[in-house]
Amino acid sequence: MSRTVTRTRLVIAAATAGMVVLAGCSSSDSTDTASAASCEPAKGKVTLQYWNTVNGMDKVVDLWNKEHPDIQVESKNISNDQYGAIGNALKAGKAPDLAQVGYDQLPTLRTQDAFVDASACKTAADAKSKFVPWTWSQASFNDSGVFALPQDTGPMALYVRTDIFKKYDVPIPTTWDEYADAAAKLHKADPKLTITFFDPNNAEWFNGLLWQNNATMYSYSDDKWHVTVESDKSKQVADYWQKLIDDKLVRTDIANGSTQMFAAYQNDQMATQVGAAWGYSGIRDNLPDQAGKWSIVPLPTWGPNGNSGDWGGSTVAFMKGGEHLYEAAEFNTWLNTDPEALAMSNELGGLYPASNDGLELPALSKGVPYYNNEKIFDVFAESSKKVDTDFAWGPTQKTVNLALQDAMAKAAAGDGKLTDALAAAQSAALKSMKDLAIPATAGK
Amino acid sequence: MTDIATRPADAVSPPPRGRRRRPRLDVGGPRAGTIAAFLTPFFLPFVLFYLVPIGYALWQSFRVVRRSGGQYGTSYTTFGGFEQYVEVFQNQEFWSSIGRIGLFGVVQVPVMLFTALVMALLLDSPLLKLKGFFRITAFMPYAVPGVIAAIMWSYLYSPQLSPVVDLLNAIGLHPDFLGPGAVLWSAANVSTWLWTGYNMLIMFSALQSIPQELYEAARIDGAGNWTIAWRIKVPIIAPSIVMTTVFSIIGTLQLYSEPAVLRQISSNISSTFTPNMLAYTVAVGNNYQQAAAISVVIAVITFVLSFGFMRLTSKRAGL
Repeated sequence: MSRTVTRTRLVIAAATAGMVVLAGCSSSDSTDTASAASCEPAKGKVTLQYWNTVNGMDKVVDLWNKEHPDIQVESKNISNDQYGAIGNALKAGKAPDLAQVGYDQLPTLRTQDAFVDASACKTAADAKSKFVPWTWSQASFNDSGVFALPQDTGPMALYVRTDIFKKYDVPIPTTWDEYADAAAKLHKADPKLTITFFDPNNAEWFNGLLWQNNATMYSYSDDKWHVTVESDKSKQVADYWQKLIDDKLVRTDIANGSTQMFAAYQNDQMATQVGAAWGYSGIRDNLPDQAGKWSIVPLPTWGPNGNSGDWGGSTVAFMKGGEHLYEAAEFNTWLNTDPEALAMSNELGGLYPASNDGLELPALSKGVPYYNNEKIFDVFAESSKKVDTDFAWGPTQKTVNLALQDAMAKAAAGDGKLTDALAAAQSAALKSMKDLAIPATAGK
Repeated sequence: MTDIATRPADAVSPPPRGRRRRPRLDVGGPRAGTIAAFLTPFFLPFVLFYLVPIGYALWQSFRVVRRSGGQYGTSYTTFGGFEQYVEVFQNQEFWSSIGRIGLFGVVQVPVMLFTALVMALLLDSPLLKLKGFFRITAFMPYAVPGVIAAIMWSYLYSPQLSPVVDLLNAIGLHPDFLGPGAVLWSAANVSTWLWTGYNMLIMFSALQSIPQELYEAARIDGAGNWTIAWRIKVPIIAPSIVMTTVFSIIGTLQLYSEPAVLRQISSNISSTFTPNMLAYTVAVGNNYQQAAAISVVIAVITFVLSFGFMRLTSKRAGL
């Protein structure tokens, strides 16, 4: 399952107003010095706190604890309210040593002074070459320090019901133009069938498609953030999907990962899913009758040899206030580069590794029975290498995502266009940054 | 009260009874400690979990975030006067969410309370059999937590899964419970389902306390069941109708869980659908000061509306 991408929301009616009130605590943060903290081993036994949302992580941690009696790690699952838990702990000055943070939330937390720079820890700093390039550039904020180590990624690909394509004699698309043609052909052949769905409530997914088109949303220069959520590149993606929506070639009434989505696939109403690496188990486990009918192919590209996109994935961040940076760096590096640890995380938590060695795991080089024994992970590994390394997230990403979703939902309901949603997200970005006193300007 | 007994004109009315003066509490005397000991279990949590958060929210709502230096520079908060409130009042999303809730309340509250009243009157009427059964079944939804109820209804609304939708499709109707126009009323339906029985029970309890002699007198005067219900019962239980209305107004302005759950299956509920959802969304974006200001404004509006309604009706309802 996806972890950064699930749309779990805390739904506690009574608590909401109170939470809003109680959540804001300390009024000032200390300076983000970006100077690396010192990295000395402690004398004697150390216990580290590690917060995450990964299934089975406690077992991976047990493996470490057995081999390292002096560096004990306590794993705590915070799936219910990941960023709420981290944010509140930071405010209370009780942050864990290590916490799982999605790539797109790194800048947000950094503006809240959440991280400590572990550059001084040789083990962690030397791990740079072990990771897929784009993951390191995001976790290190373009090599300005070692704030987090990449853990997993969500390189995108196209899940295809090959039997449906065969039945109607439609070639499997490799570019977005071909994909639109296939959408029209399939729907013409069977009016109940659409090629896929567009979930307007899923900004993270749409961001992955913007990323694929090199639609840089944020950059920083001249002491200001430059916001380009609305750009020619992003409009190209928005216009493309808008046309599919207008022509009724994609459904807009289905949420990703929902029971309804699987029901529609079960009833042969949709022929593809624009998905990510962590999604293979969902299809496999929810649609057991369709074994052998699904195949995974590269994401359609913009023109030949285009980039791929990434949807989701996380890092393990060094949190401010941790007293044992050396030990935290040792464990963090082991967790995200050691083949045995990676194999366990992959097996138990379904993590698709961000480390180069991880992509070569035995489990990831075998054919998968459900998918006709195809080596589906080769497709994801290839995708991972074609993800733009310059793409960066903004410091108020959550707010921007919500604004984008609200406006995309309106567009899907016929009120405005997806390009209006980009404009809404652009102004939400500028407003939310102004509210938090983050210097920002529109355009490059 | 009307005084129907006629007095002889020369009758001396008794002197007006002054209010007997209670001995003043001897604060600091031996009893003060006892009183304090009894009150502490109430006051301590009341102050800690009620007054302190309210005060804190108020204080937060007058702060603004400032930042110094660099791409990820230092942030701090400082006094900003009414800056956050100006933002709230200029926020189009806020007023649309208030408008949405207003529309919801104007329709949902009367429908729910009218239904509750009719059900209470039926339960209280001599015509109905199996009263215990109906009372329990009507009240039962209230025992279901709001979030669970919303999840349950999501399934009934969802076109892919719902037997109800299948049935309606079979007879040629194609409702879209989650469409842009309908989803507000789908949420209203969940609220109504949840709270009608509860409100009915409050009204029914009030009906139970009306003395039977009144009905006997009314029957002698020739009143039928219908007249008794609308001319006698309803006016007498007016205070409890007012009370349930006030609770419903408050509940409507605080609406969160039903739309938040339906949001999982419908993209026609935005993250700013109700004022409380907006406050939550703003807080998620780390703008706590703004969220506090929104919460304060919601509280003030709730206060004005509920007390306004009470003032308006208190004279007539005899509260």
